[in-house]
Amino acid sequence: MLNIVNIFLKELKQTFRDFRMFVFMIAFPIVFMLVLGMALSNAFSTSKISIDNIHVLYKNLGNNQLAQSFETLKKETAKSGIQFKEATGNVDGKKAVKQNNVDGYVEISNNGIKLYESDRNSIEGNIIQGMLTAFVDKYNVAMSVAKVDPSKVNMVLASNHSKQYIKETSLHAAKSPGAMDYYAIAMTAMIAFYAALNGTSLMNTEIARKTGDRLLVSPARKSEIFLGKVLGSITINFIFIVIVVLFSKFVFKANWGDHLGVIFLVLLTEVLMAVSFGLGVSYITKTGGAARTIVMIVIQIASFIGGAYFKIDYAGNIPKLSPLSWVIEGITKVIYANDLGAAIPSIILNIGITLIMMLIAVVSFQRREGL
Amino acid sequence: MERRKNVNVLEIKNLTKKFGDFIAVDNMSLKIEEGEIFGFLGANGAGKSTTINMISGLLRSNEGVINILGKNAVKHNRFAKMNIGIVPQDLAIYEDLTAYENVRFFAGLYGLRGAVLDARVKEALAFVGLSDKHKNYPKNFSGGMKRRLNIACAIAHRPKLIIMDEPTVGIDPQSRNYILNSVRKLNEMGSTIIYTSHYMEEVEEICTRIAIVDHGQIIAEGTKEQLKSIITNTKDIWIEVKSTEGLDLNTLQAINGVEAVQIEENVIKIHSDAGVNNLNKIIEQLIKNGAEIRSLEEQELNLETVFLTLTGRNLRD
Repeated sequence: MLNIVNIFLKELKQTFRDFRMFVFMIAFPIVFMLVLGMALSNAFSTSKISIDNIHVLYKNLGNNQLAQSFETLKKETAKSGIQFKEATGNVDGKKAVKQNNVDGYVEISNNGIKLYESDRNSIEGNIIQGMLTAFVDKYNVAMSVAKVDPSKVNMVLASNHSKQYIKETSLHAAKSPGAMDYYAIAMTAMIAFYAALNGTSLMNTEIARKTGDRLLVSPARKSEIFLGKVLGSITINFIFIVIVVLFSKFVFKANWGDHLGVIFLVLLTEVLMAVSFGLGVSYITKTGGAARTIVMIVIQIASFIGGAYFKIDYAGNIPKLSPLSWVIEGITKVIYANDLGAAIPSIILNIGITLIMMLIAVVSFQRREGL
Repeated sequence: MERRKNVNVLEIKNLTKKFGDFIAVDNMSLKIEEGEIFGFLGANGAGKSTTINMISGLLRSNEGVINILGKNAVKHNRFAKMNIGIVPQDLAIYEDLTAYENVRFFAGLYGLRGAVLDARVKEALAFVGLSDKHKNYPKNFSGGMKRRLNIACAIAHRPKLIIMDEPTVGIDPQSRNYILNSVRKLNEMGSTIIYTSHYMEEVEEICTRIAIVDHGQIIAEGTKEQLKSIITNTKDIWIEVKSTEGLDLNTLQAINGVEAVQIEENVIKIHSDAGVNNLNKIIEQLIKNGAEIRSLEEQELNLETVFLTLTGRNLRD
């Protein structure tokens, strides 16, 4: 156990003295975050949809209180850009909607209100529907009041005005990631995956420096050497990730949500997966150079298709091949949908790959006479 | 430290190591007693590094037994490792740890802790003359200083058996002398040493017993006097000429008694049967070849000659 700690601390000490490693693992993602976050900020701004006046045909066939109240509604909503036009004579309201000449057709009778709308103008249709629903609700309230105290009916109906018929509700306007928010997640996920490079060199550097032989001739068990080095690498890379996350949170004000613990758990499993992946590849290829090249190619492809450099549509299948997409998607849902369960698939996939690659590494390590 | 007589620090019995069809170590047996400085001589590929790697636990043997201080090194792996210190041929130090941290890290793997560890690290650094450099990084060290640190990392846990594989490669004469003196001192302090080197004069100078390894086998073993006595029937004649250009070595090789001919710069080195008086014929042949003789001397018998006679090649081949 003490040997594991000894080797673990040695790993930490060596890495913290490696200036290039520091620059690569901390400065690189922060600079990228800043550059991409600022350069692509327009691509992340919430899109605005402008809606012109809404044209509605109507036929008032009723003669009761509802029909009279509708006339009031017609006047009030005109101020909000909803233009009611009576369908007179042979004008076929339904046909006009079908032909997209108007956004909706309303028939008022003593039995109630019927609305015809086109799916092609869903936004306009929704607005008309919402407005009429509000109006009918108010009317129903008035009728209920009439049963108790008819003198108060006019007061209830008089309280109607256009703003109450159309209520604006923001659709996640404040809960959509801006460019900096997105790249904070993407760059952190990408740099966590870069821990794979550290994994490839974990044993190979000891072999190249010949210190591996000195470790092996010591009374430290091979398993202790393995654990000490792997735990050291995971810890170091996770520390880098924590620094990057905290820096982006407090300096760039990136939104990391309210569940930082869950996010760190996802990132920790990604680091685990990355280190094991690098280590496993280094044992499969047997040479440090080949392992590094393979891992570098995988990281680049995974970054590209996984959304590290530009936001991707997760509906497609190709992005799902990248570990980065699992992590980015999971973290995004945790932050913006408060969906903690979204972290579970990322964690399971990361741990699954960790187990496979670690198994390859451990079996190869045990079989080898050296490191 | 009091030495026990006839205690075998290392005993190898019928050790064999194969790499595929190639037999690197072939049924080797050897005993090294406590207090010896044992020279291990062999050309590249002779099998000495493979043997050392098996003794230190880096390689597993295919057959045979290795005992360290009377205990089977495989069964008592930790005991064996605790009692061995390896000074590898290649520098095995961390350039990004200070000299003190390097020694402390490796000594820590041998179970040393706290004040004892600190004291042993300082002792090892003082032994190799690096006390004043203990806070420095090896990347700023000279080749000799790095070699000394390489030794310090191997001795801080006070091993009974120290294996030094080419510890003086590529260093200046001053550092080499320092290391050779260190080897003697370590031996005086109670450690048994296995020493391999390409420098025959080093082995001749410090080793109490020597084994010559060739093709995975020990072909001769004993003190240097014992080894020299094996080949009293040979002689070495060195002839310096003005130029060796155009010289036909085959004509010299064909002379009765001549066993080997080599040219090093302008010196023709002839290894010959001492019982055959062929000096006149050699000179005659050289003159026929157009060589202009500058000097001629018969060499005193040394380990180089012994090695060449027994293995048919130079140690640096």
